[in-house]
This record gives sequence, structure tokens and C-alpha cells, in this order.
Amino acid sequence: MDVLLDNSGAFAEGVVTTVELTALSFVGALAIALVVVTFRVSPVKPLRLFGTAYVEIFQNVPLLLWILFFVFGLPKLGIQFELFTTAVLAVSMYSAAYYAEALRTGINTVATGQAEAARALGLGFGQSLRWVILPQALRSVVQPLGNLTVMLLMNTALAAGAGLVELSTAANRINLVEAEPILIFSGAAVVYALLALVITAITRLLERKLVIHR
Amino acid sequence: MAALKTRRMLVLTCAIATLSTAAACSSEPGALPGSPGSSGQGIIDRAPVASAEAIAASPTAASIKQRGQLLIGGSLDAPLLSQQNPATGETEGFDATLGKLLAKYIIGSPDAKIVNSSSETREALLQNSTVDVVFQTYTITPQRAEKVAFAGPYLMSGQAIATMKDKTAIKKPADLNGKKVIAGANTPGIEAVKEQAPNAEIISFATDPECVQALEQNRGDAYVQDLTLLAASARLNDKIQIVGEPFTEDPYGIGLKHGDDAFKKFVNDWLVQLQQAGIWQQVWKDSLGTVVTGEPPAAPAIGSVPGS
Repeated sequence: MDVLLDNSGAFAEGVVTTVELTALSFVGALAIALVVVTFRVSPVKPLRLFGTAYVEIFQNVPLLLWILFFVFGLPKLGIQFELFTTAVLAVSMYSAAYYAEALRTGINTVATGQAEAARALGLGFGQSLRWVILPQALRSVVQPLGNLTVMLLMNTALAAGAGLVELSTAANRINLVEAEPILIFSGAAVVYALLALVITAITRLLERKLVIHR
Repeated sequence: MAALKTRRMLVLTCAIATLSTAAACSSEPGALPGSPGSSGQGIIDRAPVASAEAIAASPTAASIKQRGQLLIGGSLDAPLLSQQNPATGETEGFDATLGKLLAKYIIGSPDAKIVNSSSETREALLQNSTVDVVFQTYTITPQRAEKVAFAGPYLMSGQAIATMKDKTAIKKPADLNGKKVIAGANTPGIEAVKEQAPNAEIISFATDPECVQALEQNRGDAYVQDLTLLAASARLNDKIQIVGEPFTEDPYGIGLKHGDDAFKKFVNDWLVQLQQAGIWQQVWKDSLGTVVTGEPPAAPAIGSVPGS
């Protein structure tokens, strides 16, 4: 246990980076997902194609490769950000594909009558999506979005590939000096589990408040 | 050096190659230094085999002989040290050849299998007996020696600094203060930089080619890594230069299960035999000697550093 206490500073820094990375990537992913899902259900064919292509491309290539591509590939094309920004971008864009699919499931749960009623009221596509369909869709997929967010948290460990010192890298570095892998990595695992529990708890709370009983 | 060890997945290296970026990865295998597949055989023929009494004195050695295969925790992508030749499937380099020689010493034939390990997992691999020995430029430190037994040291090296050729601001370790410094994840380089330049910001990447790539992309002002690795990188990439001399001493040991004194003595006896027969020097010449100029260094005295 002493090993963890002695290195609590380095450990805490790793935890903070992991939390920041998760929070910012979550916001980014949700924002991108809202755009992508709007494209996917839009009446304009090119936008629909774009939405589908986005989801397929990001879902079918592992995140680690995306991170490596963003970190080492994009600079070759003249696009280079700070490492942290790069990691947030890669994780957001990748996770957005999954969020978008969850949102689309939500949209599918909204009865067709709702869309027809919105149109009958004179609302356009954007307006009916914004005021009628998405609010209901979002409320019905709180649980899956929560699960995806737990996955996002775990995925931030791959940001080590982008040179960031998040929790798993911090654990690695401590282990390099202390050579106590089982204790140190168990400690990191416990922190990941606690963070995941926090996300799950928030999800439950939101679900209880928001869920629509049909 | 451990940067090379830290390969989370082979896929990392492949990914970089696929992204058509890493100069270090993309050179043809035949051109890689330290791939003398042919000369390796001669050394193996000359290498000693343990006597029956020596085997009997170590239960670990006896059980490896019984099994007919030595399980080595090591690397497959460390040029000059332990790199798999894609053409032949053979693992070549200083560490890899020594591993085969140890297998021959115990079993009578160079029957060694490399289990790709990383600096995160190698203590655990030894503790749970997944591997018999670790040959992975494993720096002997007193802290590690509490978890792992080290035979050796079998090679002395040190951390050195590389920069892009057009940069001249960094000449010595103290110049790293206030700079961004790239180091391999889980390498002694990280600690070495913290000691010499406490105000440096350290960025780490998993593999050596990634670190070199990051240096080229100006993500850091310098790259701190073991001299032998830097030499290999600098040879493959003419945009980087090595600045000054190594500023640390890293004694590399052969990792063994903690507390197995009989096997440690067995492996140390073997190392002494290799050194006396000149085989150690030949292995060095065939691998690191293809990049580092001059005669092979004096083989380190066994048990000469704390922790060994």
C-alpha cells in the first residue's frame, strides 16, 4: 500500500488527466453525434450518406489506430495540435459514431405520429427534430449513453499512445521505478472502477428523472 | 532502451508504417543493422553446454531441460538487440542471440521461445513463471532487485540525448531544463531526465520509432534514450544527431524469478564462461558492433552493481 501512498501525487495527476480527457471527450462526442444523427435521418440524400459514412468509418477502425493517425499521420498533412487536444479530438470523433447510433435508436422509438403531428403543426425538419423528436429520443437512450460513456472512460487509457500521462500511463511510470506491477495496476483498476461507478450513478439518476413511461 | 520494450502491441509499429510516416520502420529489413543471421549459427556451434552436475544443482535449469524449451520474456522489435527478421522469422540481435545461447547451455540446442513482454508486464511474467528469464535490456536497480533476481550485469549502457540536426540549443543534460523532452514510456530515461533536469517536461511514447517521429514533428526539443538505441535510430534517420556522451550508467541484467539463487548462480556461471571464451565479445560485434564503432567494450564484471 505504501507504494500507492508514496506516489499519490503522480497518481492523482494521472487521475485528473483521465477525468479531464473523459469529460471533454464526452462533450465533444455528444455534440458531434447530434450533428451526425441529424444528417443520418435528414431528408437530404448527400447528408444522409455523409452520416452513414461517418458512422461506418469510425466504428470499423480501432480507436488506437485513430489516435496514432491523429498524432503521427495528421502532422504529415500539415495539421498538428497539442497532444491533449489531439487525444480529445480522436476520442470524441471515435465515440461520436457510437453515440450517434444510440441516438438513432432513440429516434426510432419516437412514434411516427409525433413527426406527422409536428409537420401538421407547420414545423420544418429542423424544428420538429429539435422540439419534438430529439428531446424524446434523448430521454429514451439515457441508459445506453451512460454505458457508452463508461466505455469512453476506459478508452481514454489508449491516449497513452498519444504521449499523455493519464491514469494508466501514470501507473506505468510509477511501476517503472517501484517494480510492483500487481499492486500498482490493481490500484489503477480500482480508480477506473470508481470513476465508472460515478458515471453509472449519474446515469441512473438522470434516467429516473427523464425516462418516459410509455 | 525500454522504449523499445514498451510495445503495447505490435500493431503500434505497424500502424505507423501504414501511415507511411516512420522512416525508421519503412527501411527494408535487409538494410537493418544487426541482422547477421548467418554468423549467429557459428556462435551457437561454439557455445558451451552445461555439465550434468551444473544442471542438477539448479531445479529450474533441470525443469527447463525437461521441457526442452527456454521461455524468454523479450522483444521482437528492438533493432540490434532483439528484432524479428520478417524474412526469416528469426529473432536477431544482442539479447536474442544471448537467449539462444542460454537455451543451448541448458538444453543442448538453441531452443528458445520469446514471449513478447513489456516493461509493464515483465515482473509479473517472472513472478507467475510464464517465462524462465527476461532478456530485455532490463536495467538492474535496487528497487527492482526486491522483486526480481538479476544475473549479470551482461551489458553496460547509458542514456544519451538526441536532437534534430538543425537544433543547437541543447548540448548537455542540464540544457533540457524548461524544454520538452521525449522519452520512451517506461524507460530509465524518464527518471534520468527528472534527475538531471527537474524542470523539463517529459512526453513519452510507446515505441522508439514513435519517439523519433515525435521528435521530427517538433513535439519535443530532445529525445532521451539509451545510446545503443539512439545509435540505431540515428543511423536509420539522418535528420537526427546524438549530442554529447551518455550521462547515466545502465547496467543490464537477466531477470530471473526472485529468490531462485541456484538458477542465478547457474546463469552467472554461464555468463563468465561466455566472456572467457570470447563469445560475448563476438555477439556484441555481430549486433551492436555493427553500429557502434571501435572494439567491443570490456564485458561487465558479474555482480558488480547493487542489485545484481
